[in-house]
Amino acid sequence: MDRDRRQLLLMLLPYLVGLVALVLLPAVATMAMAFTESDLIATSRFVGLANFVELTRDPAVRAAVGNSLSYLAVSVPLRLVLAVGLALLLHRRARAAGTARVAVLLPGAVPELAYGLMWLWLLNPIQGPVNQLLLLGGEGGRTMFGTLPPQWLTDPEDARAGIVLMSLFTIGETFVIVLTARLALPPEAYELAELEGARAGQVLRRVTLPLLAPVLAVLVLRDTLMSLQASFVPTLVVTGGGPPPYATTYLSLVLYQDAFEYLRYGYAAAVAALMLGLTAVAVLIQWRLLRRWASSGAVGVEVRRPGN
Amino acid sequence: MTAGLRLRGVSLSRGAVTALRGIDLAVPRGELLVVLGPSGAGKSSLLRAIAGLDPVTAGTVAIGGRDVTAQRPGQRNVSMVFQNHSLLPHLTVADNIAFGDRIRGAGHRAAAARAAQAAATVGCQDLLARRPHQLSGGERQRVALARALVREPDVFLLDEPLANLDAELRLRMRTEIRAVHDRLGTTTVYVTHDQSEAMALGDRIAVLRDGRFEQVGTPDEVWRQPRTRHVAAFVGAPGMNLLPGDGPLTLPGGPATGVELGVRPEHVTLGGTPPDPLGEVERVEVLGEDALVHLTVGGHPLLARVPAAARPAPGDRVGIGVAAEHLHVFDTATGERVPQPTAAGRAG
Repeated sequence: MDRDRRQLLLMLLPYLVGLVALVLLPAVATMAMAFTESDLIATSRFVGLANFVELTRDPAVRAAVGNSLSYLAVSVPLRLVLAVGLALLLHRRARAAGTARVAVLLPGAVPELAYGLMWLWLLNPIQGPVNQLLLLGGEGGRTMFGTLPPQWLTDPEDARAGIVLMSLFTIGETFVIVLTARLALPPEAYELAELEGARAGQVLRRVTLPLLAPVLAVLVLRDTLMSLQASFVPTLVVTGGGPPPYATTYLSLVLYQDAFEYLRYGYAAAVAALMLGLTAVAVLIQWRLLRRWASSGAVGVEVRRPGN
Repeated sequence: MTAGLRLRGVSLSRGAVTALRGIDLAVPRGELLVVLGPSGAGKSSLLRAIAGLDPVTAGTVAIGGRDVTAQRPGQRNVSMVFQNHSLLPHLTVADNIAFGDRIRGAGHRAAAARAAQAAATVGCQDLLARRPHQLSGGERQRVALARALVREPDVFLLDEPLANLDAELRLRMRTEIRAVHDRLGTTTVYVTHDQSEAMALGDRIAVLRDGRFEQVGTPDEVWRQPRTRHVAAFVGAPGMNLLPGDGPLTLPGGPATGVELGVRPEHVTLGGTPPDPLGEVERVEVLGEDALVHLTVGGHPLLARVPAAARPAPGDRVGIGVAAEHLHVFDTATGERVPQPTAAGRAG
């Protein structure tokens, strides 16, 4: 091993130690724990696949899998569209653009619990500003669209929509990355399009989105990875997993309840394994789609194989 | 003169910076005009004003006889090649060339056929399926050329297209650009800071400085009769020597004040005898066939370009001769050329 590599390793060492001690070992321990019955006090007992068999029959888990996947399917694309839209609107130097950028970033800087509590108030069906706003211009207790106001905390559909709504304001990081990526695009590409007489829609479709595609692909994968955990604090603070029985019960909440309320660490570990598996499958599917998309020549993502 | 491109009193300011100051320019149809100038002279601004990418603050731009000053870039039927990023990285060569046609609603097949034809014009028909990152710098600019030509533009604008290529490729590409121009006859404005490129390519050269043209003329005129001291110093490799009129070199009529004398390094002869002034050789650079000799004459630096075989050695003192017809005279105050009666004889 030459000097450079030794130095590199030396500098990486603190991080590697932390990674192994705080992430890898606990992860392996958790996976092992999934095959035991454990309350972290009495001696753990090996139970084989019993926890996993129970997972398949547990109504909370079954509901949570459905809820988590539909949350992922709705929230990830919506968050991306919103972040990209705002970044493209706000990338120009314009009056108040700086203020607007900060406004997009700020909700992500609020501590999660405070953010959840704020939404508990915002979504209050009677005094909450969201419904007050919707009722403006409506008559006879109906909203401006003529519908009854959403019952964010008591109707299953509305509650799930509320959780997604909450997720749409914490797009600061995605926004910043798209904004930076957009600012880094060569102005010549836009001037070429302008010289050819391209309209705004054509520029978006044929220049901006394809050029941003590699960044967007990474962002989708990243958001997917995070999304199964992202619904945790809102459900814990705002809906408590309800309305009953499991309208907004997501896997992260099931895991939390099994571990810290029912003290079934072995079973909770099995839930964690399930979450990991689902995330891996979702990422794999996206990765495959992206690969196919890229090799069809639609975007600027190069799929390179080693030695190529 | 058929109307190709006509600029009248074009000025362009961006914030506090004035890039162009009242530019008047007429480029006949089919001409290749090279705009030459140091960086910051306003060369790119001039192209952007013609293309409409930056709105002019005063003056008019006419293309093919129609006033396009108020038109958007897309309506002017001009195309442009940039120094970098003239291609979209996510598109194949074929799609890059067909990009404009597709934007304007041409069908896929028709656009592809035209793209293939344009590619053949510049000799990149074998690259159609590749992506820009799979091309060399020269191939990329060749494709950029095809992309710009496929539109059959009224005016073709090139913004230092060869600046990022290595020297050998630059030479080859500029020959090819000239050949393509001769074949298609598109009115072309070519921007460069490289005077040898300008000399080699241009039907005419427009020397730009501080947003104004110092001289517009054929390469020969610009080289032989530079209208200002800046043109004299900028054109030529290296540029003209400039010495005070009452310095070591004098006009046949004797020392003159208020003027500067210019002489090209190529026109300085070494080894003369008195009354030629003596110069001390500081440094000698051999450039193959020729050598550049750095001298000091009466406290002034002077460059001479002589056959390498006849070069002096550093430290030598040599007589310096300049034929009177090779002396250029510039007014010190205005920098403008002072016309001289053609006088035979030697300066000394």
